[in-house]
Amino acid sequence: MASKSALEELPGELLMWILIISEVLVFGAGLVVFLSVRITDPIGFADAQDMLDRTGAGINTIVLITSGLLAALAGRLRHAGARAQARLALVAAALLGVVFLWIKGAEFAAKAAQGIAWDTHAFFNFYFMLTGFHAAHVAAGVVLLLLVAWRDHVDNIEDASAFWHMVDLIWVLLFPVIYLLQ
Amino acid sequence: MTGRPLYIAWALLVALSLGSAALSGAGVWAQWPVAAGVAVMLLAWQKARIILAQYLGLSEAPRWRRGFDMGLTALCILMLGLYLAPLVV
Repeated sequence: MASKSALEELPGELLMWILIISEVLVFGAGLVVFLSVRITDPIGFADAQDMLDRTGAGINTIVLITSGLLAALAGRLRHAGARAQARLALVAAALLGVVFLWIKGAEFAAKAAQGIAWDTHAFFNFYFMLTGFHAAHVAAGVVLLLLVAWRDHVDNIEDASAFWHMVDLIWVLLFPVIYLLQ
Repeated sequence: MTGRPLYIAWALLVALSLGSAALSGAGVWAQWPVAAGVAVMLLAWQKARIILAQYLGLSEAPRWRRGFDMGLTALCILMLGLYLAPLVV
């Protein structure tokens, strides 16, 4: 039996992996610049960070991780022919995405109520840009998950799930750098 | 259909996230900023590896998994170094 080539070994679509690598590089670059600017004012960054809602962000981490599990299970269910269950898992994953956005929206609204905007401090510039851009990806992911729950071809579900896991992957890197490193 | 590896991955991700949350107390950072920073980045690195391996399926593509692991490790080391820079300068 001939061994698989590297490209054949890669799960899912090559284009989706190019997107995943690109997005991780973009967010990774953003986090590297954030930490580089922090070197010039570590106390100011720490004071600004203390104004964030770490509990809400921590809950959002569990929400996204659980949503990722449901999206991954949906692919397995669809492969096994359990279409109704796969659709249910996708809708549940999308609903958890909405929960994430609701918590994130409440967090942004609380900042606005405190008079905190993107130009309050360099920290908040990066905070709003990086978490806002990530939230936009979550919103796009929710639409994708609902779309493939409707048009539930195996390949569609795999692609939408891969996008959703990418959103998850970025968050587990973004969360500790923005919210936790003090 | 068996989702057992996915459930195990999810449980590990939740456990690692709770570990990060436990480290988020201000007292921890005031006393041990270097150790807390290293621990938080280690937990983030491990969570990202689990998502890549189990959720995105790289556990079945070992060569790709090694490549992604190397890139991810380099990014996490760079971010940790930048975090630690103000503490040692």
